[in-house]
Amino acid sequence: MLELKNCSVSFGPPSKRVDVLKDLNLTVEKNEFVAVIGFSGAGKSTLISLLAGLQEPTTGQVLINGKEMEGPGPDRGLMFQNYSLLPWLSVNDNVKLAIKTVFPKMAKSEVSDKIEHYVKMVKLDHAGTKKPHELSGGMRQRASLARTLALDPEVLLLDEPLSALDALTRSELQDQILNIWENDKRTVVMITNDVDEAVLMADRIAPLTMGPGATFADEFTVNMERPRARRTLNDHPEFMRLKTQITLFMMGLNKAAQKDAQAPLISMPDIRPRDFALPSANIRLKNKKDQPTSAA
Amino acid sequence: MSSLMKFFTKIKYPILKAIDVSGLTFLSPVVRLCYGEEPRVQMKKISQWIVIPICAVILFTIVWAYGSTVVKTKSGSVPGPLATLKASESITNFGDYEKAKEEAYSLTGPERAEALKTAKARLGKMDPIVQGATEKVAEAKASHSAKLKKRTSRMLSTRTTLKETYTATQTARKTALADLSNTLTPGNKPDYANFMKQVKQHTDKTDLEREELVKLAKEIKVITDEKSDEVAAALFAQTRAAEEKQFLQKQIDQLTGQNKATKIETAKSEIAEDSATLLTLTGPPALETAEKIAKAQSRLVKTEDSVYAGPKTLGYQIKRSILCVFTGFLIGSIIAIPIGILCGLNTTFMAAMTPFIAIFKPVSPIVWLPICLIIASAVIPAPDDSGFMKWLWEDAWILHHYDINPAFIASAITVALCSLWATLANTALGVASIDKDHLNVARVLKLGFWPRLFKIVIPSALPLIFAGLRISLGVGWMVLIAAELLSSSEGIGKFVWDQFNNGASDSFAKLFVVVFVVGIIGLLLDRIMIVFQRLVSFEGSPTAI
Repeated sequence: MLELKNCSVSFGPPSKRVDVLKDLNLTVEKNEFVAVIGFSGAGKSTLISLLAGLQEPTTGQVLINGKEMEGPGPDRGLMFQNYSLLPWLSVNDNVKLAIKTVFPKMAKSEVSDKIEHYVKMVKLDHAGTKKPHELSGGMRQRASLARTLALDPEVLLLDEPLSALDALTRSELQDQILNIWENDKRTVVMITNDVDEAVLMADRIAPLTMGPGATFADEFTVNMERPRARRTLNDHPEFMRLKTQITLFMMGLNKAAQKDAQAPLISMPDIRPRDFALPSANIRLKNKKDQPTSAA
Repeated sequence: MSSLMKFFTKIKYPILKAIDVSGLTFLSPVVRLCYGEEPRVQMKKISQWIVIPICAVILFTIVWAYGSTVVKTKSGSVPGPLATLKASESITNFGDYEKAKEEAYSLTGPERAEALKTAKARLGKMDPIVQGATEKVAEAKASHSAKLKKRTSRMLSTRTTLKETYTATQTARKTALADLSNTLTPGNKPDYANFMKQVKQHTDKTDLEREELVKLAKEIKVITDEKSDEVAAALFAQTRAAEEKQFLQKQIDQLTGQNKATKIETAKSEIAEDSATLLTLTGPPALETAEKIAKAQSRLVKTEDSVYAGPKTLGYQIKRSILCVFTGFLIGSIIAIPIGILCGLNTTFMAAMTPFIAIFKPVSPIVWLPICLIIASAVIPAPDDSGFMKWLWEDAWILHHYDINPAFIASAITVALCSLWATLANTALGVASIDKDHLNVARVLKLGFWPRLFKIVIPSALPLIFAGLRISLGVGWMVLIAAELLSSSEGIGKFVWDQFNNGASDSFAKLFVVVFVVGIIGLLLDRIMIVFQRLVSFEGSPTAI
C-alpha cells in the first residue's frame, strides 16, 4: 500500500518559493492500477519522483505499507520517462545489472534464465545483444520496462511510459503492460496525459490540477470489467461516458487555470482620435505648398 | 565462386566499421569502390582525400629540395630530401652492423666458422673497393679544384695587379705628401688646412682601395668555398666503404678473439693449466697460483653472463623512448584518473585540488626534469644495493634490456607530471557531467558507492577519460624527447643531442630523419588511442575538451 499524506513539494529560494505540488493525498491499494492524469507542466514527474523516493516532500509524508519511505529502492520499480537505459550496455546487460543488484547471490544460470524471461516478456528476445542506440523508441521503452520488471518490484511506477511513442506502438505496449499486470498482479501507478489510455488501463484515475500548486481533484473510478477489449471500446457506453466526463473536467481545469492566469485589467486613458473620416490625401495637399496646381 | 562472393559481401561492413573505428576514414572510399558502390562519388572522395594529399606531399618535397639549396649554415647546406633519405640509410646500416656484431659475439662452433669465412671473404673484396672510392674522391677533388682554379684564375690575377697598382700609387701619394709637409710654413693656417685636406683624401682613398681588395678576396673565397656535389657523393661512397670495411674487421674480431665462446675456452684452458701446476706447488707460489685461479674463475662467470656491449642504435633508442613514454603515461594515468574521478564526484575535493592544478599545470618540463633527476638519483638505489633494481636490470622480462636507471625514471616522471593534466581535467568533466537519469537509475537500484562507481560513473565517463588519455599521450611524447635530451637518458632525445654535438657530415641530415621518426611514432600513438576512445564511446557520449 502506497500513501501520500498532505504532501507538498516546493522549489526555489525562500524568497521566491514555488509550490509545485500542494496538499497531495492519495492512497493506492495493493494490486491496484492507478492512473494519474494531468497537463504538461503540472508536476507529474515530480509526483512520480516523490513516490519513487527520488524526491523528498517539503511537508507531509510518503508512506509505504504504513511506514515512512526512506529514499529510493528497488521495491518501487520506476520506469523513467526517457528510458534511462545505460547506453554502454546491451539490453541483456541492462536487465542483468538490475537483477544482479537486487539478487546479488543468484546463481549465474538463474540470472541468465531471468534475463531471458523478462526480455522475452517484452518481446525483445531478438534484440537482446543490441545497444540502446540501435533500437527504436518503442523497443527502448520495452527494454526499460523489462529492466524495471526484473527488479521484481512491489510497486510499478510508470512515468509517461508511452507518451513518446507513435499510436500503433503505443497501443501494442499498452496491451503488453496490461497483460503483464494481469498475469502477475502488482501495484501500478502510471502517469499519463492521455485520457483514453487512462480509462483503458486503470482501476482509478486521479486528475492532477494545473500547476503551480497542483493537487489532486476528485478521483474517477473505472467500473469496467477486465479484460477490456480494445476493439469494442468505442462502443462501450461506460468508456465513452468516463472519457467524456474526464475530458470535460480536464478542459474545465484548463479554462479555470487560464482565467486565473489572466493579467488584471488595466484601465486605459480615454483617448479618441478626433475624426476617423479625415482623408489622408487632403492633409497632403494642404501641407504641400510646392504642389503644382493643375488649373494654373 | 558464389560462396566467395558471399564472403566478400559479408565482410564489407565489418571492414568499413574497422576503418571507421581506427580513424582511417580515407580508406573507406577505396573499399566502397572495390565493391562498385557509386564509383563517381567514391572517385571524387578518393581524389579529395588521397590524391590531393599525395600531391601536397610531392609539392612539399619539391619546395624542400629547392629551399635546402638556398639556405647555407655552418653545418653545411640544409639537407634536402635525398640527403635525408641517405642519412636514414646510414642509420639503418649502423643498426644492421651492430646487430651483426652482437650476433657474432655469441656465435659458437660451426656457425661461427661459417660466419667467419663469409666475413673474411667479404673483407678480402673490400680493399679494392675502398681504394677505388678513395681514388674517386681524389679525382673528384682534383677536378673540382681545377674547375675552381679556372673560374678564379682571372679574378686572382686581377687582384694581384690591382694590389700592385694600389701599393704603387699609395707609395707615390705618400711621397708627394711627405714632400708637401716639408714646404709647410708654421703658423700659416690655410696652408695647414690644405695639407690636412690632402692627407685626408689620401687616407680615404687608401681605405677605399683596401675595401675593394677585400671585396674581391671575398668573392674569390665564395667560389673556392663552393662544395661540389660530386666530391660530396664520392666522400659519401668512400665513407660507406670505409665503414663497411671497419665493420667487417670488427665482426671478425667478435668472431675470433672477442668471441664469447673463445674467451670462455681460453679462460677455461688457462684455469686447467694453472690447476695442474698448482698440484705441484707448495708455500707462497701455491697461494699465488690459487688466488690467480680463483680470480680467473670469477672472471669466467662474468664472461659467461656477458652480452655484447656496443653503442646504442637508433632502433634501440626508439624502443626505449616508447617504453619510457608509456611508463610516464602509466604513472600519470594512475595519478590523474582517481584524482579526476574524485574531483568530478565531489566539489569540495575539486575546490581543494584547484590551486594545485592551476599552479602546476603550466610548469614546463624543463623545470620538472632537474627536480625529478635529483630526487630520482637520490631515491633510486643502484642495482647492486637493491634486490628490486638488480632484478629490473638483470632478469625482468624485456625490461632488463633497457637499463632502467634514474635518468629513465626521471624522464618518465617528467612525462607523467606534464601529461597528466589533460587526463585529470577530462576525467573530472566526464564524471561531473554524467546524465542525471543514469544517477537516478543508480539510486533506484540502491547501488552502493563502489558498484555505482564501477557500473555507472566510470563507464559513463570513459569516453572523456580516453579523450584525455589521448591528449596526455601526445603531450607526453613531445615532452619526452626534451626530457631525454636534457637527462641524457638513452633514447631519441639523446640521439638528437648526440647528432647536434657531432660534427659528422650527415649529422644534420640525421636530425631531419628524427623529425620524421618522432612524427610518425606520435601519429601511431595517437591512432592507437583513437581506436580505444572509439571502442569505449557510446551514442551521445560527451566529446573531449
